[in-house]
Amino acid sequence: MVILWQVFTKILERGILELRRLISLFTVFLLVLSFSGIVLAQETVKIGANLEITGGVAAYGQMIWEGVNIAKEVVGDEVLGKKVELVLVDNKSDRVESANAATRLIDYEKVVVMVGPAISGSMLAVGPICEEKQIPVISASATSPLVTQGKKFVFRACFRDDDQAKAAAQFARSELQAQTAAILSDIAQDYCVALGNFFKDAFIEKGGQVVSEQNCRSGDQDFSAQLTTIINANPDVIYVPNYYTETALICQQARDLGYEGMILGADGADAPELVSIGGDSVEGVYFTAHADTTQAITEIGQKFFDLYREKHGREPSAFEALGGDSYVIILDAIKRAGELDPVKIRDAMEDTENLEVITGVATIVDGDNKKPIVVKRVENGVFKFVTTIEY
Amino acid sequence: MGREEKRDLALTLILFAVLMLGVSLAERYLNTYLIRILNTACIYVVAAVAYNLINGITGQFSLGPNGFMAIGGYTVAILMLPLVQKEQVYFLQPLIWPFNSFSFPSHLFLLALFLGGVAAALAALLIGIPTLRLRGDYLAIATFGFGEIINVLANNFIPLTNGALGIKGIPEYTNLWWTVNWAFWSVFMIKGLVNSSFGRALKAIRENEVAAEAMGVNLFRHKLLSFVLSGFFAGVAGGLFVTLISTVSPSLFTFTMTFNLLIIIVLGGLGSITGSVVTAFIFAFLQEILREVEAPITIGAWTFPGIPGMRMVVFSVLLVVMMIFYRRGLFGDKEISWQLIIDRIKGRNESEK
Repeated sequence: MVILWQVFTKILERGILELRRLISLFTVFLLVLSFSGIVLAQETVKIGANLEITGGVAAYGQMIWEGVNIAKEVVGDEVLGKKVELVLVDNKSDRVESANAATRLIDYEKVVVMVGPAISGSMLAVGPICEEKQIPVISASATSPLVTQGKKFVFRACFRDDDQAKAAAQFARSELQAQTAAILSDIAQDYCVALGNFFKDAFIEKGGQVVSEQNCRSGDQDFSAQLTTIINANPDVIYVPNYYTETALICQQARDLGYEGMILGADGADAPELVSIGGDSVEGVYFTAHADTTQAITEIGQKFFDLYREKHGREPSAFEALGGDSYVIILDAIKRAGELDPVKIRDAMEDTENLEVITGVATIVDGDNKKPIVVKRVENGVFKFVTTIEY
Repeated sequence: MGREEKRDLALTLILFAVLMLGVSLAERYLNTYLIRILNTACIYVVAAVAYNLINGITGQFSLGPNGFMAIGGYTVAILMLPLVQKEQVYFLQPLIWPFNSFSFPSHLFLLALFLGGVAAALAALLIGIPTLRLRGDYLAIATFGFGEIINVLANNFIPLTNGALGIKGIPEYTNLWWTVNWAFWSVFMIKGLVNSSFGRALKAIRENEVAAEAMGVNLFRHKLLSFVLSGFFAGVAGGLFVTLISTVSPSLFTFTMTFNLLIIIVLGGLGSITGSVVTAFIFAFLQEILREVEAPITIGAWTFPGIPGMRMVVFSVLLVVMMIFYRRGLFGDKEISWQLIIDRIKGRNESEK
């Protein structure tokens, strides 16, 4: 028995040794392969994507990423004779993670330019890092005025909150002929707070009168208290610069309370869910938006929208279009910079003028994209283009 | 001071010297990515150790560190924000007096951090006085509510906090010198406290309040002091956080922050200070290391696309496995002490003989 046992253990030991050798051989094999991969990878143009793929606003990040990839198919994945390599890093919709992700992309992945987080809060954490490291970053959808303020290397493909609110006020005054307005904004969202405040200033400046200002919070279900106050003040238009869930519920409850005047929303309302939640009560609601996805202004825009519909069988949203814009702006800047020098790419990006992108024509001034703002209206459950506003 | 205590103190000072040498080397040779993760880890250490003092050592289940961190963070942000930024950032409503008239220069950063800590400690005192007289889970509910209140205040008190827009452009003073020093000294102080008669009284409260009271421990005073101290260090950690990422807004210190800290202290072992230190580092580094599992993998000519979100799956599985095999956390309520390390080294030598 003892001998048998000894033989058995010997065999086992030998077996483990062999296994180890196999594993180490395999590791060496993998290492060699990955090294060859790295050697090949050096010939690409590395563009980082620091996006919200998981976490609270994962939907935005995923849509932007999809937009970037579709734009890559539409306008090509070659620049300066090299292939474009997109490096995606998830920031979990978290600010600390966004900052970590940015340093990772710069230090570890050695990207020359990156697409930044979708939301302004995370962009504010990423901005200073890119500024210090001199790597240009462009956000598809961070609309807060603070994002690009005083920054050389921070860009955005969308409009700014204050520009959007000004355009909304202009539209309300000149097109809707509104004399009085009431505002009901979501105080827990930086985006809504800013829009509400800027709208108020612009509306008063243009000779209108703000008769009531009310607040709500994301996640609220009942707005009847605020709406009753607003309806008592009898405004011509209610400005509701909130995300689609709150906007839809507010429209529903305003109509239930007997309000028959106009309602004006912002780009947060630009989602099919507005209709699916709000139903008939959102009929006739106006809102400002980034793009008219049903009718492209530019050729690549049309290609982009067609390809998107073919792939997903539904209408693209503004986030996807803006993700596409970011990619087009980056690629154009690299082309004009003529080399993979982040500082030169930054200069070229700042010089972007009348560039045809997915959503229209981009002109970058101080990091912000100055392009006309689209106004849409809900008609029979679909979003119809009304007009564009220059500001 | 006994011989062993002297030896421990000497060893601790040597450790400190080694750490400082390490920091100066790290600042020079490490890339900013690694430094950033190290900074995050050290800030987690400060916050987690403070949280463990009230949760693990004193046994009072608090859910409020995010509130204290927010208070500390906002205090430091408002004090340190340069005047130019104060004008630019507060464009909805101007910052209220007196904060709009001054800004701390960089050499007063330490003072700002202290003030942040003190502000958080005062808040802890305010909610501690009514709630710590109660026994049981009331503290959890009260502190949870407190965290939410701070969040609502930060959203609504626009002239002070700039509301949901938050504050940007806070000077990035936090570097490894600051974070490592705060991590080291907070562990040093809290560990010293735990080993004192005061600390033993706290542990007695954790084990059995009635018995502790019968032994002459003033329950309320001990709990309150522990709570206030915990608030102080949480406030400092909040201040370090905002000067690391240069921006603050109400969404930075939500309940998720408390949740992360809870994972750290439970995983390290409730009541184990050194356990919290180890798991704070594991927590900060693991999240970054696990990024590899969601990156596309290239083996030769084959490329496997990455699956975003995969690292959170792996992370959660690791958490579950760890909690199954180490039900009381990695360290239980034991500490890594110099005695333990020396015993281990000696033990190994003896067994080799």
